[in-house]
Amino acid sequence: MTDCGCEKAKAELEEYLHNELRGDDATDIREHLQHCEDCSSEHLIGVTLTEVMQRACKESAPEDLKNLVLAKIRTVQSAH
Amino acid sequence: MTGTTVLERPVLERPGALPVDGLVLPLMTTDTPDVPDAPNARDLFEEQAMPFIDQLYAAAMRMTRNPSDAQDLVQETFLKAFAAFGQFQQGTNLKAWLYRILTNTFINTYRKKQREPYQGAIDELEDWQLGGAESTTAMSSRSAEAEAIDHLPDSAVKDALQSIPEDFRLAVYFADVEGFSYQEIAEIMKTPIGTVMSRLHRGRRLLRELLAGYANGRGHGAAEPASRPLKSGSTST
Repeated sequence: MTDCGCEKAKAELEEYLHNELRGDDATDIREHLQHCEDCSSEHLIGVTLTEVMQRACKESAPEDLKNLVLAKIRTVQSAH
Repeated sequence: MTGTTVLERPVLERPGALPVDGLVLPLMTTDTPDVPDAPNARDLFEEQAMPFIDQLYAAAMRMTRNPSDAQDLVQETFLKAFAAFGQFQQGTNLKAWLYRILTNTFINTYRKKQREPYQGAIDELEDWQLGGAESTTAMSSRSAEAEAIDHLPDSAVKDALQSIPEDFRLAVYFADVEGFSYQEIAEIMKTPIGTVMSRLHRGRRLLRELLAGYANGRGHGAAEPASRPLKSGSTST
């Protein structure tokens, strides 16, 4: 097994996190992360950042807004 | 790319591609009730686009920073999208299409309204000018840093997001919250993919710095005002 090394891993960690790497590159990083505590802890922070953002940004549109949008669309349609 | 050169376009149009102006109607015959009509544009729009309203509202909240503007922005986005729905190519990515309209509308209307300084130059800044250098946190280890960030309240995360430059914030939001690909973000933000990557990298680095600082501040009795206090009833819900 050839390790891609920390330099490559650190440089591509963000793309790896966002699923932007091609199969081979992604495999390299994945394998490196299994053996390198330094890079895997760095990756953990990246994953955590994404997770807390997803959690914090959840919103539901107010029902009033949904009804208003539907009403407006129907008005536009019937104006023709 | 196909090997054959198309010299003449076939005259046949897909039935769904009829102009949606209400003028071109199928020929009226007396006995065609079961013919599968070109789908009614409104029904199709409601069925396909309306399910995205919660997501679009969440994005609008991060863009405009307040519920009232977010609602206006979403409403405008849906009306524009409906008006242009005839141009949407079925089978392509509707979510990305809606986000493009949302982002355009935001940039053209609300960014001006909010009188934010022009931020185009932000991409030109060197890393050191932006701050947020790597690993300046006093955390004993990275796993502790990750855990501390993980335990931050949502309000702190939203507050940190609000405080990074807008183009960075949008790129980060599109990638991390919405899961758009870099290519999709490039199309939504009308910018080269390299710029997307740079904005993402810088935005995430700033966020990490803010959140780690905030976690640190809390952990040590809030010595530093790492974050503006949240006004109740303001943007965060």
